[in-house]
Amino acid sequence: MKMTRRQFLASLGGASLIFAIDILAENRTGSSSFGPVPLEREPECIADYTDTDYTNWIVFDPGENVRVFTGRTELGQGLKTVITAVVTQGLEIEPEQLTIIQGDTDQCPDDGPTIGSAACRVVGWGFWHACLKIQNYLVNSTSTKFGIASDSLEFKSGKIKIKGDDKTFLNYSEISTGEAVVIRVNPDSTVSTKQYIDKKILNVNGIDIVTGALKYVNDLKIPGMLYAGFKTPPYHKSITLLETINDEKTKEIEGIKAVEGIGGRVVIIGERYSDVTKGLSLVEAEWRTPTRAKELNIEEELRASSHLQEVKEDEGDVETALKSSAVVLSETYYTQYITHAAIETDTSLAAYDNNSGKWNVWASTQWPHKQRSQIATELKTNETNIRVIAQPAGGAFGGKIGNTVNSEAAAISNFAKAPIKLIYSRKDQFQLRSHFKAAVVIDITSGVDSNGKMIARKIDSYDDLAEGSTFVYDIPNVLTRAFKGNIPYHRAVVRGTSYVQTCFAIESHVDMMANRIGLDPFEFRRINVQYPAFVNLIDSVAENIEYSDNNKGQEGNEGIGIAMVKHGGAQLGVISAKVRVDRVTGQIEVKKICAAFDVGIVVNEPTAVVGIRGGIIMGIGYVLREKIDMDGWGTYTEYLGEYGIPRFSDVPPIIDIKFHDNLQPGGTVRGLGEMPVVPTIGSIANAICDAIGVRFYSTPITPEDIKKALGTDIENLNF
Amino acid sequence: MSDKKSMILNVNGNNHQIFADMNEPLLWVLRDDLGLTGTKFGCGKGECGACSVLIDGDVQRSCRFPVAYAAAGQEIITIEGLGTAGNLSKLQKSFIKHSAFCCGFCTPGMLITATGLLKTNPYPSRDDIILAMNNNLCRCGSYSNIIEAIEFVVKEY
Repeated sequence: MKMTRRQFLASLGGASLIFAIDILAENRTGSSSFGPVPLEREPECIADYTDTDYTNWIVFDPGENVRVFTGRTELGQGLKTVITAVVTQGLEIEPEQLTIIQGDTDQCPDDGPTIGSAACRVVGWGFWHACLKIQNYLVNSTSTKFGIASDSLEFKSGKIKIKGDDKTFLNYSEISTGEAVVIRVNPDSTVSTKQYIDKKILNVNGIDIVTGALKYVNDLKIPGMLYAGFKTPPYHKSITLLETINDEKTKEIEGIKAVEGIGGRVVIIGERYSDVTKGLSLVEAEWRTPTRAKELNIEEELRASSHLQEVKEDEGDVETALKSSAVVLSETYYTQYITHAAIETDTSLAAYDNNSGKWNVWASTQWPHKQRSQIATELKTNETNIRVIAQPAGGAFGGKIGNTVNSEAAAISNFAKAPIKLIYSRKDQFQLRSHFKAAVVIDITSGVDSNGKMIARKIDSYDDLAEGSTFVYDIPNVLTRAFKGNIPYHRAVVRGTSYVQTCFAIESHVDMMANRIGLDPFEFRRINVQYPAFVNLIDSVAENIEYSDNNKGQEGNEGIGIAMVKHGGAQLGVISAKVRVDRVTGQIEVKKICAAFDVGIVVNEPTAVVGIRGGIIMGIGYVLREKIDMDGWGTYTEYLGEYGIPRFSDVPPIIDIKFHDNLQPGGTVRGLGEMPVVPTIGSIANAICDAIGVRFYSTPITPEDIKKALGTDIENLNF
Repeated sequence: MSDKKSMILNVNGNNHQIFADMNEPLLWVLRDDLGLTGTKFGCGKGECGACSVLIDGDVQRSCRFPVAYAAAGQEIITIEGLGTAGNLSKLQKSFIKHSAFCCGFCTPGMLITATGLLKTNPYPSRDDIILAMNNNLCRCGSYSNIIEAIEFVVKEY
């Protein structure tokens, strides 16, 4: 149902000024000359520009309104707020004049997945550069068209005016040629300080959020809509089969429309969600027992099944350097399976529209265009027959990129010939998804010379990508290898990605090394960092956490730890944590977190700070609480309480965040969505070791682990 | 097996006649029959607090609360009843001012629980706030900002 050019232009309001924004991201090749150029072909529909780099659009409508189109979605990271802050200041317009259209595949081009660290840096800052160029373009094209010298024109309050004449503003429709113009920008290029945006704004969804008016997928309703839910075994879906369904007991529930085996699961379709849940509790089904061993020794399986995936770093001669080292230390670290656990469970609303002959799917997603392609494959139809409309997501954290709920809802809707709202139960979210941050085994060996300088390091990471090993420490001889395992659970992208595992191992190991050679862990890091910018950050957290030679506190059970990371492009982060460990109960209390981040310009501090604190709190969950209960057959975690996402009582009373901008010349945005999670983990693990003198080699570090290590576990006293 | 019955629900000061299974969770009657979708489904087990409502001033989990038990004249308050766009409650304003959310999905439950707390204890300490709010989960981890938002209301009013 492609619009004609005339329809499209009419839909934009005829005399609109249309700018296609080509944001040159680091992974994208493109022209190195940046500036306005005519679009190579006429715009028919913005969403059709999937084969180009014109991923975001700004449209000036007649009158004073501006529309922004982006394929990236609203997840809670505040992208809409960032775009609002950037575009209203960049074009000097009021928020009421701006409409942002996000994640509708019929209206927005594919801009890849919305992943927190890159959305603000690439899209948000890309729009800032674009706005500055649009100002210039408008001045210059007005000058050309009307024969007025460009230096006698200026851009003010979203309009072009003649300098010194406050009454004469030019209408965009007078400038418009009816052609779209490409604005090429490089979000990583610097802008001068006077061009920084300075107004910070509060979350633009704020009023809708606090009044309950913001519509997530589950809040939508269409006529004739039915609910659907799954019954699944706890077994991993790739290793089991549905054999029989007995729906005798569900027949008495009048609201139930169908009980059916679809895609290896029992699906119940009902008028009300409570009909569905009642039916799910009564229906009986049998699944074939998995053929695989139930016993799961993760370390053994990962080591046995792993094959070399990538050599991440290979410099110098590690073996020779280790031989010449004054001290060599070899250790193995382990991390657990972790899941996203967004409070909004996977939910989708799918309906076939007889009028347009298209499927409409309302989705909670980080990547609507990928979902569109998955749905098209599932329904065996063309992508042009599918429209995915992204609603604000109730949390995503990497779990809503390629998830299957939308194609499942479409398949069930196709079967039921009715609009379907499919809701995953919390149990489904843990078990059916079986989609986890990988458990990882990391072997790490390093060597230090007599001056305390690290001269060699070797890392083997099993079933992981080993991201995060580079850039932080200056080590001349390194070998880092990533191995891929062969176990049936899906390895998922979860906030912080592979950096989480790698940096837990490296930062714990670095502390052990410092201890072995008798150097203070802060000082040992100062000696070994690759970039001086890190030293500023170390000094900053040391001062703010009040680091001293004795951090044990009055009761002798407190400790301070530090950890560092370089995440994504060029985000440097150092975090120091202060903990108190109760030797009897094993409880670990995080008393204070001090963070120092070298991330360039912080575009909108209010939304950035709440996101960073949230990342730090998520890191506390990773290191102290969260764990999936599983074996070789399946996943048994069913409740949020069992899984252990952080609560209010886990939050440190003080989270101090300091921003720095020393690494680069300044004037760029480097992103910060995921990075704070990572050093939180190592800093707490190191603080625990500082407090009680025990090194823990695996996460999570629980009260039971503490009690066992200290011999205060009264149920297992060793007589 | 159907146990459907006509009942009167008093929600946000208005009476509504509904016809529902007596054991159906209040949550789905609010959402599907009354269109009050601000009250969220997060777990269905009373664990996350996203479905919190006030029933006669007490914080309750509507995903586990049979509708018939709420239909005996009790006053039910949902997020929509706390304040509207032009007339926000102090807590709602403070949540906006302190950026006390990211995705916002848990926020209605947080606001209901905080409202219930301040009704019974207008001057809670930080520890009181943590204790009262501790069974409301926020995966974005906006907890520090939520505490600040509640403390601000306690201090300023």
